[in-house]
Amino acid sequence: MTAHQRYRIGVDIGGTFTDFALFDDATGEIMTHKRLTTPDDPSQAVVEGVRTLAAETGIAIAEVATLVHGTTLVTNALIERRGAPTAMLVTAGFRDTLDIGLERRYDLFDLRIRFPAPLVPRHLRFEVGERIAYDGTIRATPDFTALEAPLETAVETDGIESVAICFLHSYLDPRHERAAAAWLAERFPRLKVSVSSEIFPFMREFERWTTTCMNAFVQPVVDRYVARLEAGLATLGFAGNFLIMTSSGGTLTGDLARRFPVRLLESGPAAGALMSARHGRSLGLDQVLSFDMGGTTAKGCIVRDGAPLKRYELEVGRVHDFKRGSGLPAKIPVLDMIEIGAGGGSLADVDARGVLQVGPRSAGAVPGPACYGQGGTRATLTDANLTLGYLDASSFLGGRMPLDAAAARAAIADGVGGVLGVSVERAAWGIHEVINEDVARAFRVHASERGVDYRRCSMIAFGGSGPLHAARVARKLRIPRVICPTGAGVMSAFGLLSSPVGFELVRSRRIGLARLDAAALRTEFEMLGAEAERFLAEAGIAAADVARRYRLDMRYEGQGYEIEVPVEGPLDDTLAARLPAAFSSEYAKIFGVAFPDKPVEIVNWKVDASGPEPGRDRDYRLKSAAGAGHARKTVRSAYFPETRGFVDCPVYDRYALRPGDAITGPALVEERESTTVVCPGDAMHVDDRLNLVLDLAVTR
Amino acid sequence: MSSYDPIALGIQWDRLIAIADEIINALVRTSFSTNVRESYDLSCVVFDRHGRSIAQGAYSVPSFTGTAPATLAHMLRRFPADSLRPGDVIATNDPWMGTGHLFDVNVMQPVFRGTDLVGYTMSITHLPDIGGAGFSATAREVYEEGLRLPIIRLARGGEVDETWIELIRTNVRVPEQTIGDLMANVTCTNVGARMLLEFMDEYGIEDLTPLADAILAQSEHAIREELRRIPEGVYENAIDIEGHAAPLRLACRIVIADGEAHADFSGSSDAVPAAINVPLCYTRAMTCHAIKCLTTPKIPNNEGSVRPIHATAPAGSILNPLPPSPTGGRHIVGHFVNPLVYGALARALPDRVQADSGMLNLINVQGRTREGGGVSSIFFASGGFGALHGLDGAATTPAPSNMTGTPVEVWENLTGMFVESKVLLPDSGGPGEFRGGLGQRIALVNDSGHPMTVSCLAGRTEFPPAGIVGGMAGGMRRIAINGEPVHPKGRYVLAPGDRIDTVEAGGGGYGDPRRRARDAIAADLRSGFVTPEAARRDYGFEIEG
Repeated sequence: MTAHQRYRIGVDIGGTFTDFALFDDATGEIMTHKRLTTPDDPSQAVVEGVRTLAAETGIAIAEVATLVHGTTLVTNALIERRGAPTAMLVTAGFRDTLDIGLERRYDLFDLRIRFPAPLVPRHLRFEVGERIAYDGTIRATPDFTALEAPLETAVETDGIESVAICFLHSYLDPRHERAAAAWLAERFPRLKVSVSSEIFPFMREFERWTTTCMNAFVQPVVDRYVARLEAGLATLGFAGNFLIMTSSGGTLTGDLARRFPVRLLESGPAAGALMSARHGRSLGLDQVLSFDMGGTTAKGCIVRDGAPLKRYELEVGRVHDFKRGSGLPAKIPVLDMIEIGAGGGSLADVDARGVLQVGPRSAGAVPGPACYGQGGTRATLTDANLTLGYLDASSFLGGRMPLDAAAARAAIADGVGGVLGVSVERAAWGIHEVINEDVARAFRVHASERGVDYRRCSMIAFGGSGPLHAARVARKLRIPRVICPTGAGVMSAFGLLSSPVGFELVRSRRIGLARLDAAALRTEFEMLGAEAERFLAEAGIAAADVARRYRLDMRYEGQGYEIEVPVEGPLDDTLAARLPAAFSSEYAKIFGVAFPDKPVEIVNWKVDASGPEPGRDRDYRLKSAAGAGHARKTVRSAYFPETRGFVDCPVYDRYALRPGDAITGPALVEERESTTVVCPGDAMHVDDRLNLVLDLAVTR
Repeated sequence: MSSYDPIALGIQWDRLIAIADEIINALVRTSFSTNVRESYDLSCVVFDRHGRSIAQGAYSVPSFTGTAPATLAHMLRRFPADSLRPGDVIATNDPWMGTGHLFDVNVMQPVFRGTDLVGYTMSITHLPDIGGAGFSATAREVYEEGLRLPIIRLARGGEVDETWIELIRTNVRVPEQTIGDLMANVTCTNVGARMLLEFMDEYGIEDLTPLADAILAQSEHAIREELRRIPEGVYENAIDIEGHAAPLRLACRIVIADGEAHADFSGSSDAVPAAINVPLCYTRAMTCHAIKCLTTPKIPNNEGSVRPIHATAPAGSILNPLPPSPTGGRHIVGHFVNPLVYGALARALPDRVQADSGMLNLINVQGRTREGGGVSSIFFASGGFGALHGLDGAATTPAPSNMTGTPVEVWENLTGMFVESKVLLPDSGGPGEFRGGLGQRIALVNDSGHPMTVSCLAGRTEFPPAGIVGGMAGGMRRIAINGEPVHPKGRYVLAPGDRIDTVEAGGGGYGDPRRRARDAIAADLRSGFVTPEAARRDYGFEIEG
């Protein structure tokens, strides 16, 4: 930041709204803005919003040092198949790998399962007579001349703009893929090229190649989008750094984003989890469960020691009943979030078993919940929350959207109460509670798979529906404390501004620890680290400012699944000797036992290089008009099982609450985008950052 | 309907299924063999204290689910519930008490809450080896097939009995993997027990019986309701399939009456002196699977969901062989129970039945890697999925079992074999208004530098996957070594450099191919799934120009 560039802007493009947050690094103030997303050209809303925000706050755009951007463009382009016509070059004999797939049914009893069509149609996959064996032996060197004619045809008749290069065992030796890329650059310089050994050099061809095809498929789209956005911002006078958020919580320069667009999948939700991590750090919490719940989905992410957990796979565009296995697998570094089909719009009905089921189908924005009065007749979670008194018909979305309570009751009576033979209230409570249970169950599995004791976490809850359900979900998980941060509606935009420039590399290279000496180990890490650093150098990050974190995927020889082991301490001669113990300890954490005598091998090598975290030591505050009027604004009837039914419940205005205010539940705290439910007996107080902190009563 | 609180029931039921999923998770992540970790050749089940199965993990082999309750009953006859103590582990691989062949080990732990036995957890996996002839169809008696463990107490009070471990270790080819997998079963049933107790604590459940009663009652009610929708009557079917030396006949007669289905397999061939006989436990499991697929695919699997389904077969027949008939490759014949049942019920349920699938080819490979390590792994290769009303069959999709293919890069690393090619087979999908799924062609070369034993365990080489409701058959399976056709259930040695080529069968078609939508045919031509000649011959589709 130079002296005259004191501002940073975060922009999160969601399905309905584009959220903006402006940080003033000189004063620590945050200003926000919200406008409708422009789906046909999302860059339009971004440029307009930045202009408006600057005008409203009276700053010059030239004073903005950085603009960080999160987008659903890549996710949507893949789900809606709106990418560019793409071809694939593939090892001879394996043109059909994309069609053959994983040869697995994801449902045992459903004969009508469907699989997603490959992104590259079969007639645009061209075989190359090359082969590298599993041990690195070259069996056949490639010759590309025969590709010239068919590729020309593909350009002319199919209009291909992009090519995915996918050869077997390229994670081990990328030379053939690179030769193909060089040949394409010479003969077809207009084509974009995605190389599997560069996109994600991971063993398992179907997943690696599918990921590479995704990258190729969206590359021209992202390229044009970024170009439009950069041009638009330039006309406003923006001269700072333009960065895009990735799925793993780091940011990339526009140029890198254009090369690795697949890494932009799910970048908005990642920003929300990052914001939880930041709140967790500033509150001194070592384990946080980030809980984000909106209109259609709920997302959870575990934050340990200030950093969200990561993983390396993501499924995109499920084609059959939202079922796991019915989408395309992407192998990329992503924040390890669990997504559950549970949100305000989740539809409630009685399933084939004769029991209540809520979600994963959603009423969406149209027709929406029955209480929206837009033609929806089926009961949703929002209808239940209205019936239970948690939401108010006249103050929803700050009063901008009146709700129809009678329609909600009718839908619940028809779809659930009547079928199960229970009252409307009981059915509404059932809908509310089924969602609590679904979310808790998913979090429980998610946490225990990662060896995390969820009972030791604190929960940070946000999103339109998060604070409505947080205390109940936390109670099921025996989490004692819930925090609902201020500005929950624009958490993602905040999160964007907390994320460092970063790039992560992963390489498959299987080698037994016994065959690895200290020098070889160090060389391997150094090479990987230097490569990652080169990406950061492109974003102008000096090597001295780069933090490298190394991790290894390791397993007992003969096992098929690896666990991730952080490489702690110096990369010196003692490292090789330290690794077996590090592995044993991680293994025992997850599975309860370890086998110290069994030989161990390394499967994947990972480095995560990142620049400094912007504003890490700074405390930012939302600039808002001081609350006017009384905090306790009304009383309404709300349902709590602890009170055996409806009870008069005080309703507070969140904007009028002040640090130190304390309330004992039952209570409801309303803000524009959400309502926080404080259950009977739970103690809530407002901390000095205006977060709502709920300490749950020990119940049952 | 039950008196259990309807809202609590749904919540707690789903939670039990999640526990079963967790058991699978722990199993897959701690196992040492590709069978488990890549191919999901496994199942995990939770039982109440009466031994009734109440939940099963989602990724399981269907047959194992059907057999598990009977296996538990056998175990409790040998070791009655009142003789079990916390930390005991019971196991068996007996084909007639387990899953139909020696390769599957069934591992059970009783779950104690304090001193009360409240339930059981069980996991089943296909071991990488069990000695004997190896996983093949060539044995003439069960004694040749490997180590047969009666019902044993593998651990007592948390202490594993090393005698059993030594016995198994001494009898198998890849002891590290085999013992590793056996212990993974012990670990995961332990995880399941812990989670079941946590669940009971959380909801203050002293006894699972009322919850189990409600789950089983609602499941049973749902399938009975669906069975009642099928017109009452007798539905018959008979198919010819290849055997070992001569073709076999499988026949069934399904009586649908009063919300129940009784399948009798009289008229099927006698048991044969080759390891393709199907113990009745497996026959019944596949019958339940087929009928569930047609009636209540969304009802979670448990004892109630199969209670109204009955299967009988004459003793000594291929679908109910008696010891010492060999059974190692029982799935080769047993998998045909599904298409047999679908064919019988096609008249009653034309919109639900599926044409025959190309099914799985299992190639069991034993040898050494280039580096000298022991290899004992199964290469699973899928044929095409059968077509359904309104839906083309998916290419290369396993049926009716759900073993998963191994990635080429993983397989080459694991075995030192060279996979030369793996391509779809045009025209192998049976023509129909809805086309059968394509099969594939795979070329494997022994590149390990050592001799390699391969045992094929496949069918569909003499009788193609039939079409249904007017659809035509899919392409047949063929296996050749160095260009010479070999028996699909034979055992061969590949010298270094030898190659094995397999052609995996396509799925059968559904409905008259002349009624297939023209744009669907054009799309198939464009993708090369159907050749112009076949389009003309089978679909009457003339290509313009």
